[in-house]
Amino acid sequence: MNLVPDLLGKALFKVDGMSVFIGIFIVFFSLLTIVYSLGFMKKRKGLGHYYLYIVLTIVASLGVVFANNLIILMIFWGFLGLLLYLLIDFGGKERTSYTAKKAFIIIGGTDAFMLLGLAFIWHLNGSLNIDKLSIAFNTRLAVLAYLCLAAGAFAKAGAMPFHTWVPDTAEDAPTPVTAFLPASLDKLLGIYFLARISLDVFQMDPAMNRVLLIVGSVTIIAAVMMALVQHDLKRLLGYHAVSQVGYMVLGIGTGVPIGIAGGIFHMLNHAIYKSCLFLSGGAVEKKTGTTDLSKLGGLAKFMPITFITFLIASFAISGVPPFNGFASKWMVYQGIIETAKAGGRLWIVWLVAAMFGSALTLASFMKLIHAVFLGQPAKNRKITEVGPAMWIPTVLLASLCVIFGVFALAIPLKMLILPSLNMNVVFTGFWGSGLATILLIVGIIIGFIIYLLGTATKTRQTEIFVGGETLKDNPDMRVSGTEFYNTVSDIGILKFIYKMAEKKLFDIYEVGKSITFGFNGILRYVHNGILPTYLAWCLLGMIILFYILFKHIW
Amino acid sequence: MIYVVYLIVYGFLLTAVVGLVASWIDRKVTARVQYRVGPPILQPLIDIVKLLGKETLVPKGASKTAFLLAPLVGLGGVILVSTLLWLNNINTSNTFIGDLIVAVYLLTIPSISIIMGGFASANPLASIGASREMKLVLGYELPFVLAVFVPVIHSGFSIRLGDIIAFQAVNGAIVGSWSGALALIVVIMCVQAKLALVPFDVPEAETELAGGALIEYSGSGLAVYKLMKNMLLFTLPFFVMILFMGGFRLKGIQLLYSVLRYVGLVALITVIRNTNPRVRIDQAVRFFWGPMTIIAIVAVILAFKGL
Repeated sequence: MNLVPDLLGKALFKVDGMSVFIGIFIVFFSLLTIVYSLGFMKKRKGLGHYYLYIVLTIVASLGVVFANNLIILMIFWGFLGLLLYLLIDFGGKERTSYTAKKAFIIIGGTDAFMLLGLAFIWHLNGSLNIDKLSIAFNTRLAVLAYLCLAAGAFAKAGAMPFHTWVPDTAEDAPTPVTAFLPASLDKLLGIYFLARISLDVFQMDPAMNRVLLIVGSVTIIAAVMMALVQHDLKRLLGYHAVSQVGYMVLGIGTGVPIGIAGGIFHMLNHAIYKSCLFLSGGAVEKKTGTTDLSKLGGLAKFMPITFITFLIASFAISGVPPFNGFASKWMVYQGIIETAKAGGRLWIVWLVAAMFGSALTLASFMKLIHAVFLGQPAKNRKITEVGPAMWIPTVLLASLCVIFGVFALAIPLKMLILPSLNMNVVFTGFWGSGLATILLIVGIIIGFIIYLLGTATKTRQTEIFVGGETLKDNPDMRVSGTEFYNTVSDIGILKFIYKMAEKKLFDIYEVGKSITFGFNGILRYVHNGILPTYLAWCLLGMIILFYILFKHIW
Repeated sequence: MIYVVYLIVYGFLLTAVVGLVASWIDRKVTARVQYRVGPPILQPLIDIVKLLGKETLVPKGASKTAFLLAPLVGLGGVILVSTLLWLNNINTSNTFIGDLIVAVYLLTIPSISIIMGGFASANPLASIGASREMKLVLGYELPFVLAVFVPVIHSGFSIRLGDIIAFQAVNGAIVGSWSGALALIVVIMCVQAKLALVPFDVPEAETELAGGALIEYSGSGLAVYKLMKNMLLFTLPFFVMILFMGGFRLKGIQLLYSVLRYVGLVALITVIRNTNPRVRIDQAVRFFWGPMTIIAIVAVILAFKGL
């Protein structure tokens, strides 16, 4: 179905299952962000521009999703990079402009790669319409073209090695912007584009799938290891926004229908729980004025709604059954095992990386929950729950986490994801999350009956027991939670790797910067600011020019 | 509805009874090792009933709901995973793809509940204990996952528990192969850590943390945790038996062998816990990420070679 048939003689836009599905969720997340911003961004300057940029982002995102021509897609894609830059700038922190620049350079740089990729495709096929392309990897140019386009998708979604803008943005941009762009929209678009090029534009082969699997596994483990040792609420969440991309890339990289469907499902789930986490985190920030983990603690009593939404989303992202994160991860695992049957032994590496990654994710979220909501409070705060404009979006998202997990097959998969893929996904013996949930609830009821048999209904409050001391007189005894995993990061080779990461040796932006400035350093000797030197250079240049021009005369 | 019946009969009652008996075996063997007489067989049950009669204290500044809900979630998780295992064990075709992965994930719920409970008690000692529990999970999860895939490779890449049991019924127990034996060693170590028994009892560490994550629990909450731990003493060895020893067979003389195997596993766990000192948490993580992971990788490679 062509929306704009034969405009300029070509079909520029196209509506199909996948673009409708992504489009619906773009609008959904945008509405939530706008509602939330009404509460969060209150009394800030330049709100007219802020909402204008958000609306423009929606338009540009929809343009990307419904574009059929790659040039049209590229134009909207470029706009998104610019809008991201403008939106980050509303953060108003000291480092914000630096972060915005970094994001813009990484996204813009990979956009240049994408443009190069488009040129290659044009050279190979003479067409840039997605529905007319189906390129096999039989030439080197085709491989290069795919990698160029994939770089763009990776940078947008935040997969390694183009991930470094995500944690910085998470820390410095206003929270609704983080929840809107890096956490939800950019994931949807990046993975949408990766799926498009992997499923429609190119014909994937095992070697290229392996590239995706490697990128996915490395992204999962490396990013979550970084998340373990963070001290800032939003930055920690930012690293998870990177880590989870790994599962989506893994899913698409398996190349089997259930894995790809799992990857797409995970993308949707990620957008849901990650925006829930960011928005709940934003509520904490709004009320306490800080996101430093060592200054929070014990908020569960004051902000029960935020605590529950955060808890549900944390379990969802850690893949605890029966929440939605588990359903999609389970499908990705399923896809990986499926590839085992075709031979090859590396599947166990991807599978272990994915499963171990979710244990690490759980660990870092336990730390967050302790440091923010439970544990011992850093100081006596008298705060209240945030207003409805800020908790309604989080409650909505948290309930989606539960619904999409418990009714995984019936609602999101059958209604949204499977129609969007032209594939035959076989679901014999899908994991019965509905039944498991009922059984889990029955189990909890049994425990509850035991409680009723006992004395849990009448409780008595006591002082906490700290070996006879009182916590009030010994503030040093407080455990904030930020130092939980120092023992892990001190182990053998990990210590070395963490040190390298601290020096930003894995940050493509920093590495690129030092290379560029290295060249600049050499060129700088030429520009020493002394006028005679410049004149000498001009003279030298003129002589060379004259020599070339009049060579044939002599 | 039939599943709820399964849950109550097998998942809860049978598992609880066997778990309580296993806990008695554990205490009796420990007592004999230390030249004591040991408790009577009903003692574990009496302990729990006694705890139910005691007052339930909630520490000041704690999040009461999270504090009281955490033990229930842990118990629910154990009941669910034992139901899943029993269903597979009774009828190997009554299974769904990937239930092995579901079981591995569900087996972390008890740990999560202990961690949440510890965090919710607003006690620094509990926080430290719970954080150690979390690090222990990080430690053993890597070799555990690797070792669990050894039976998967043997049974032709099936991640259904039922298929793995059926495979072993035809081809003999997986522990009989080299890779299976190595993987079993790793898994038993991980079970020891999952049960938080010596040498991996760092989260509770009575002598330094006075009970760690469970320090503030008393009365009903503690009773549920005790019950959960006793049930795990059945569920985890049961999981190991399904993966490596062809499950818990219930027919004829096989039942006796299965019981003997189970008692053997429990006795092994008890002996390990009675003959070792407690390690530090960093030593535990190092142990699991170092030697245990290497052994598990060797087992996986051997399994690929068909050994």
